Amino acid sequence: MSEFLRILEDEVQIVALAFMATVYTIRLIWMFRFKAGKEVTKPVGSPRVGVAYSMMNVAMPWAMESARKNLSFYVQFVIFHLGVLMAITATLILPYWPEFFESEPIVRIFQLFMGAAFAVGLIRLIRRITSPVMRLISTPDDYFSVALLTAWFAAGVFAMPNQYEVSEWPLILFFGMTTLFLIYVPFSKISHYLYYPFTRYFLGKTMGHRGVFPRKKGGEKPAGLE
Amino acid sequence: MSDKTINISDVVNLPLDLKEQKKALEQKSPAVVEGKVKVYDPNKDNVKNLLEMLKNKLSRQTVSSLVGCVHCGMCSDSCHYALARPHDPTMTPAYKADQIRQIFKRYIDWTGRIFPWWVHAKTPKNDEDLNRLKNIVFGTCSGCRRCTLNCPMGVDTAVLVRLTRGLLTELGIVPEGVFVVDKDSWETGNQMGVSQEDYIETLEWQEEEVQAELDDPSFKIPIDKEDCDFMYTVNPREIKYDPRSIAYACKIFHMAGESWTMPSFGWDQTNFGLFSGDDKLGGYIAKNLYEAAKRLRAKRIVISECGHGYRSSRWEGYNWAKYKQDIPSESVLITLIRYINQGLIKVDPSRNPLPITYHDSCNLARSGDLTEEPRWILERICTDFREMHPNRSDNFCCTGGGGALSMVEYKPLRIEVAKVKADQLKATGAKLVCTSCHNCVDGLSDLIKHYKLDMQVVQILDLVAEALVIPEKTEKK
Repeated sequence: MSEFLRILEDEVQIVALAFMATVYTIRLIWMFRFKAGKEVTKPVGSPRVGVAYSMMNVAMPWAMESARKNLSFYVQFVIFHLGVLMAITATLILPYWPEFFESEPIVRIFQLFMGAAFAVGLIRLIRRITSPVMRLISTPDDYFSVALLTAWFAAGVFAMPNQYEVSEWPLILFFGMTTLFLIYVPFSKISHYLYYPFTRYFLGKTMGHRGVFPRKKGGEKPAGLE
Repeated sequence: MSDKTINISDVVNLPLDLKEQKKALEQKSPAVVEGKVKVYDPNKDNVKNLLEMLKNKLSRQTVSSLVGCVHCGMCSDSCHYALARPHDPTMTPAYKADQIRQIFKRYIDWTGRIFPWWVHAKTPKNDEDLNRLKNIVFGTCSGCRRCTLNCPMGVDTAVLVRLTRGLLTELGIVPEGVFVVDKDSWETGNQMGVSQEDYIETLEWQEEEVQAELDDPSFKIPIDKEDCDFMYTVNPREIKYDPRSIAYACKIFHMAGESWTMPSFGWDQTNFGLFSGDDKLGGYIAKNLYEAAKRLRAKRIVISECGHGYRSSRWEGYNWAKYKQDIPSESVLITLIRYINQGLIKVDPSRNPLPITYHDSCNLARSGDLTEEPRWILERICTDFREMHPNRSDNFCCTGGGGALSMVEYKPLRIEVAKVKADQLKATGAKLVCTSCHNCVDGLSDLIKHYKLDMQVVQILDLVAEALVIPEKTEKK
């Protein structure tokens, strides 16, 4: 392995990660500087249960009509985010535990997930370009973020065998994109995962307090029967 | 049924109508003179003022919704405006929320301040842009929160729309109807400008009606009686247009042997602050109610049938008024359940034989906690109850929510998008649609008339009163 690739996989990633963490920390401090709404009413339900339900919503496609009626979109969402998980995991394993990728089945599993995520990324990009609704609400950041991730998945597929002795370029491309990714993410919509706990927490707390979450399906005991 | 679709630019370019504002200024309307209701001033830097207010009004909750949208577009399938106008991408909730989001990004968020074009961050240039913003947030969203509950990220678009409405209300850049109702609310303590004399007279009239029906001159609608079990609060629409509902409720309370009262002031459980986004007005109206209960030493507040009234009085009002809830408040539906369950009143479901479906008010189902309660009652007071689909917190708005009924300029669009609701109603085959909201009664009645549905709108209290078994000795001879 060349010194350039070694530094790119290790020190450069650590610096990029530290940068991202620093920006995220500043971002969170910024968010917490806004006043928090205060609830002074007597609860009907449990805010804690509401928060838990709200947080878990992502894993309950049946609980939300938008997911229930668009199951293929939900499956795409799962594949895409599993691809992200696999790619991030790969960036952490490759520099420090390279022998992990000496196993061909493991390499194939990672490639499968990232390849599938790449395909989903392309579908999403096409949807964003062709749908009038998506075009109207999309910003350059939206296009770039999806394109960046999609390209990153493709780079990941080629980098996975970790055969730097054959060619370092796939790894240089993958880690080069990872660096760009880590620096760009805090300023883009990709950082939505940082906000997810907050939006879902606030919604869950309010809706749980009011007894709206968990959502009722029928058959629940009505109030007034005490 | 008309398939005609309106041109959306006719809606977003509707001019700011100032007739009522001018009239209020000429008449030196107290709410305007005291600065409680703002009038539009073209000589002010309204854009700058909006930006200043935005900074001050942001909370952690709203900021999280402003930064959390990933523009996935999933909300478009949940909005009745978008579903009824699939050819019109501007109906997408994310687009509507983006109208304030792009201002937030340009002035408060990071990336938008440095690279505005990259995230479509921009600022309103002038009052015309603010007027356009007004038409979008007041005219193309009923704040039903269906998109909120269907957002994978949990972005509360309805709250962002309300936030924007509130900012525009502070600048007087509002639909005429909103200005008038806000003014009336401040000046009379109720949103329909009902005078205290009219209120008391209506109660006395309904008292006589019930006395005649029960042949019981001792029947009273107690006003300002202290130390009762509960204080009953109503919607001004009941006083003005549907006093029967008060009579029904009072008759039922009487039959149940209840100890109750109605306040002479602080009786309006509705709250236009919810629709105009004016938290100060919201707090004022809600506080009137809470203070009335305190003054009368009532043990509970019972809220008559109204979606936004329940949401405002039971939930938001305490927060707007920063008033710690000291006594319980409940919907009259819960009171009715208690009566039926404890045998305090007897009901005969055979008196309501027509097929009935139930429309969940958005504010009761998505912003309140009442979905099973009306169904529990309906199962006991009618013989043919049919569910509407989707229902409960997935139900579609009556299309008259968010104060839409008071904004006549947007009626053509409201009626067009009501097709979603009309199709939903039609599919039930019911002859009666029951709802527990006066606003929904009007919204549904409008669309039933327009789409020529063979259906009538009723409320739970109407049906309970119909099914009420009155012991022979008190029944009219």
